Amino acid sequence: MMGFFRTWDVRREWLARKAPEGGVRTFYRTPYPWPEDDYREIEYVAVDLETTGLNSVEHEIISIGWVLIRDQRLDFSVMGHQLVRPFGELTEESAVIHRITHDELVAAPPLRDGLERLLPVLAGRVMVAHHARIEWRFLNAACRKVYRLPFEVPTVDTLLLEKRLLRARDQEITKGALRLDAVRQAYNLPRYRAHNALVDAIACGELFIAQAQHRCGAKGRPLRELTI
Amino acid sequence: MDIELVEISDFLAEYHPFDLLPEEVLRTLPASMQASYARRGMVILEPETDCAFLHVVRSGAVEAHSREGHLLARLGEGEAFGSQALIGDGKAINRITAIEDTLLYLLPKPQFDRLRRDFPQFSYFFAPPGAERLRGAHAHGRTADEQLKLMAQRLGDLMERAEPVVIGLDDSIQAAAARMRDENVSCLPVCDSDRLVGIITDRDLRNRVVAGGVDYATPVRRMMTSDPVTLDADDLAFDALMTMSRRNISHLPIMSGGRLAGVITNTNLVRRQTLSAVYMVGDIHQRTTFDGLAGVVSQIPHLLVYLVDAGATAHNIGHIITSIADAATQRLLKLAEEELGPPPVPYAWMASGSQARHEQTGVSDQDNCLILDDSFDAAAHGDYFTSLARYVNDGLHACGYVYCPGDMMASTPKWRQPLAQWRRYFSKWIDQPEPKALMLSCIFFDMRPVWGEKALFTDLQGLILDKAQKNQLFLSHMVANALTHSPPIGFFRGFVLIRGGEHDNEFDLKHAGVVPVVDIARINALEEGLRAVNTHDRLNAERRKGSLSTSGARDLLESYEFIAITRLRHQAEQIRNGEKPNNFMDPNALSRFERDHLRDAFQVVKTIQSSMANAYHVTM
Repeated sequence: MMGFFRTWDVRREWLARKAPEGGVRTFYRTPYPWPEDDYREIEYVAVDLETTGLNSVEHEIISIGWVLIRDQRLDFSVMGHQLVRPFGELTEESAVIHRITHDELVAAPPLRDGLERLLPVLAGRVMVAHHARIEWRFLNAACRKVYRLPFEVPTVDTLLLEKRLLRARDQEITKGALRLDAVRQAYNLPRYRAHNALVDAIACGELFIAQAQHRCGAKGRPLRELTI
Repeated sequence: MDIELVEISDFLAEYHPFDLLPEEVLRTLPASMQASYARRGMVILEPETDCAFLHVVRSGAVEAHSREGHLLARLGEGEAFGSQALIGDGKAINRITAIEDTLLYLLPKPQFDRLRRDFPQFSYFFAPPGAERLRGAHAHGRTADEQLKLMAQRLGDLMERAEPVVIGLDDSIQAAAARMRDENVSCLPVCDSDRLVGIITDRDLRNRVVAGGVDYATPVRRMMTSDPVTLDADDLAFDALMTMSRRNISHLPIMSGGRLAGVITNTNLVRRQTLSAVYMVGDIHQRTTFDGLAGVVSQIPHLLVYLVDAGATAHNIGHIITSIADAATQRLLKLAEEELGPPPVPYAWMASGSQARHEQTGVSDQDNCLILDDSFDAAAHGDYFTSLARYVNDGLHACGYVYCPGDMMASTPKWRQPLAQWRRYFSKWIDQPEPKALMLSCIFFDMRPVWGEKALFTDLQGLILDKAQKNQLFLSHMVANALTHSPPIGFFRGFVLIRGGEHDNEFDLKHAGVVPVVDIARINALEEGLRAVNTHDRLNAERRKGSLSTSGARDLLESYEFIAITRLRHQAEQIRNGEKPNNFMDPNALSRFERDHLRDAFQVVKTIQSSMANAYHVTM
């Protein structure tokens, strides 16, 4: 186990050397949290993306939302919401889904600027997302496009946590039961009316602190029990 | 960081005391806040531990226990804790435990302190007497303050959108559903050009469309509810709550000047309605006998004590207590119509006097009258309305609203007349004023429809205001009448007390305190052609019109509130002591501070009375 993580740190150092100056270098220069650390003492960043579609090869990020979690509390003084201009043509339906207008996107800064804001916030912290695979795939594709580097970060997936929990209880997983709104309801979290990347990042962050508390109570547990 | 978390600021804006903060402050507040979660059973604060935040319950519920283990309060959505620690030494005083899975919003101490420093109304809420008051209110459930404030709020002020989202008569059901989704609303008023003709709700889509297998291309007109119940933007939130619970509906279109202004839904009202007054009104509408109604109405003295203790204003208390008289009246009329059959011609049941003004303070005499449509034919319809009026007057009497000693009631034939006759009455009172007749009919210059065809009254009121405004002689007679009641204050600012009799060395807070202000407000309203009937509303409208100076109106409003609340406190005290409440007070029962304040208040009223006397050349 220790060796495995040591490898990750070595790899991070190597990526840091290859990284151009700026947010991405800050990100790779900062050590990841230690997997044996008490999860309550670690800082997290809940992230949500809005994209033009579900395929990270064809589709692109159009907005990024994030919020910091420290001491198992969401800290709204460290949050962000960044629209980014896609390279390709905008399809009608994606703009409708996200209620972001074409004009807003044309006026938005390029993807690079979005990453330059997000990556320093993620440095030394754990990423939290619901169905995190999607967020990771898009951010990975983005980092490869912009920096020609992969995106590697310790991650907590709130959807996966819920799935594990239900399996452990031998509960059947019904269709739609793992959607963010549905899972939040199970923890008595409020329904948010608006949906944008920031609100969804907050929704996911709140879900994470609720899940952690239900799973671990007031006791400390090592981070690795929660990460992917 | 300049991002707005609308979800959070909107939430805070719904709750006291955050609703007192200016919008721009509320908008930026969330960016300095935090959120935490407590699973059911978790201890959130332990006495003597550090507390660095004001905690606001976002979802879930918590309990506060004293160090000795006594349950102090149960707090739900929108309620806050931790303020005592923040104002004190930063250490929690009570134990706070989550009794449900709970999400909390946290306001850090520096921001909390800044808000307290910058906004006195916010600070006042957390000040120790306020906290004391709140704890008392908590014993009854949720904070009374918040509800009282809500109930006296105008619906127009609660509207969330500048422009209502509507749908056309001939649009398809599918278009309606799409609009509801896009606009995130649960109902749509249906409009024919500019006119409201119906309403369609998410419940209709489920029950009538989907469950009925209806074609989605069907026009809205075939699935909507036609001619929905509406309220006016000037009505109170309290009225909306009662209308909804009475008719089992959850959406109310709100009209302003005959045009659709928006929609009020029960979700933004109902979760705050737990106060007993609302239950009492709901209860009244369930009762079917005089005895049953009397049982509910007899609770009013307790309600009065409760409201006074909760720190409600006299203005709020008047509205709430009067709403119970209104409900009893409406219920009796409904029962009467059930027994007698539908009315043969339209009518309006009018409350007059303090009920009309929303200024009842306890169970008082009844004052009412009937305006009948001009199609009324005494031979054919006379019996119906005689029976109706008798039924309601008897019912109110049985409830404790005793018969009016001057017979100013609908059962008196003279006060149960067609509109044309009422027009003649008022024309005579105004055009050929006689002091004696005016003194008696004065009560009819405060009128409000509580049931039936309100338009009958709107017509009449138009005539009254139009005539009164032009008739100086009438107004000076009204002034002369008003001056017969004057504040109990002598030349050297000493109190003038009653000498001898049952109330030796006391003064009459009603006739010498409240009534003069009510009279001033009424005369100014007639002079300015204002439709308002409530004294508070009249004075505010007069200030806006400029007939009272801003400072004069403010002084008068404050004085009026102080006199009125002193009277209510006195009555609450009597009720608590098992005595029958009255209006007579011994000035020595007041603290020195209250006495001085009361003297100042009387002085303000007296000054305005004399300037009115001068303006109308009436000698005092």
